[in-house]
Amino acid sequence: MRKLLTMAVAALLTACSSIDCPVQTQVTTQYVICDHDGEALELTGELTVTSTRKDGSDVTLLNLVTGISAFSLPVSYSHPEDELVFCFTSNLGADTLAIDTVWVKKDDFPHFESVECSASFFHELTSVRHTHNIIDSLVILNRSVTYDQTTTHFRLVPKTDD
Amino acid sequence: MTKRQHISASFRRLTISLLVLLFAQAAQAQLKFFSLQKDSVPVFRGFALSFDLVGAGMLSFGDYGQLEGALRVNLHDEWFPIVEAGYGKANHPTDEVTGISYRTKAPYFRIGIDKNLLKKKHGPNRLYGGLRYAFTSYKVDLDRQDFPDPVWQWDTGFGATGVACKYHWLEVVLGVDAKIFGPLHLGWSVRYKRRLAHNEGILGKTWYVPGFGIYDDSALGGTFNVIIDI
Repeated sequence: MRKLLTMAVAALLTACSSIDCPVQTQVTTQYVICDHDGEALELTGELTVTSTRKDGSDVTLLNLVTGISAFSLPVSYSHPEDELVFCFTSNLGADTLAIDTVWVKKDDFPHFESVECSASFFHELTSVRHTHNIIDSLVILNRSVTYDQTTTHFRLVPKTDD
Repeated sequence: MTKRQHISASFRRLTISLLVLLFAQAAQAQLKFFSLQKDSVPVFRGFALSFDLVGAGMLSFGDYGQLEGALRVNLHDEWFPIVEAGYGKANHPTDEVTGISYRTKAPYFRIGIDKNLLKKKHGPNRLYGGLRYAFTSYKVDLDRQDFPDPVWQWDTGFGATGVACKYHWLEVVLGVDAKIFGPLHLGWSVRYKRRLAHNEGILGKTWYVPGFGIYDDSALGGTFNVIIDI
């Protein structure tokens, strides 16, 4: 019995702890580009998405991507509305450029894992509005924005020539 | 055709008889497990008060821990209904890496029963196996100094005050109790904890839960008890 007591004290003294922070800590919104029937469309031109920092300088969120039908964009931690500028450059003509501005409103919630894990925010998308130069429609599919990178949050339908 | 029916009926009867026999034996074994040994020792053998040193040590030397006591009823040195109550506290100052501070304090309660697993039930030492249901209701304060959003650079506050949380869990206990002298015993227990239900408010998760400890993959805990028979 005394041996068991000694073993217990030794086990308690040598107990270790581990840090279990999530591997995936990016909180981003996922966009898919579709036609009106919901069929995925591949971006033929180039897309750049920018926004404006607190100090008024521009920040590039997506830089000259092409040939994609889905992309992800970050969400501000606690600003009530993110203003995103979508610049479309067509491959058909080098000078063809169209700009749409997108405004995303959301509620922000502090998300806590452990004192040893970095602070992060989850979001609930409340509304989206946009200009209509290239974007025909932009709708919210899922409102909850978390670590989950597999959920599609927005469906973007560009204008077509026909 | 008639012969085949007879064979089928006999086989069915045999199967049913075997099943009934098996169930009867299992029920008898269960009754034996739950029944008290027949001897001249009275059923009620008194109470024991205990105090956990591990939780108190954690509280003294670390950021979190608990003060915990228990009242155990001794039924024939075989069964031990037990109530455990404690007060858990965490005060994690601003973390050097993440800058987050965490505070909570609340009482917690466990109720359960232990069985003495030794053959010699009335000896000075005991080996326990047992089960607990535990519950706590607590509030969490979380703080972090404002920091800039990594993309937009807006100052961002991160924190919450008085977030109400609840936790229910089960513990499977394996413990040892050794008589030192007179009414004084020392004992330890290892506990496997299984969360049943929880509500951690807008935070989604909490760190230290009073009585449960820190929720992680190990789900193991332990106590080292000073026990006095009363």
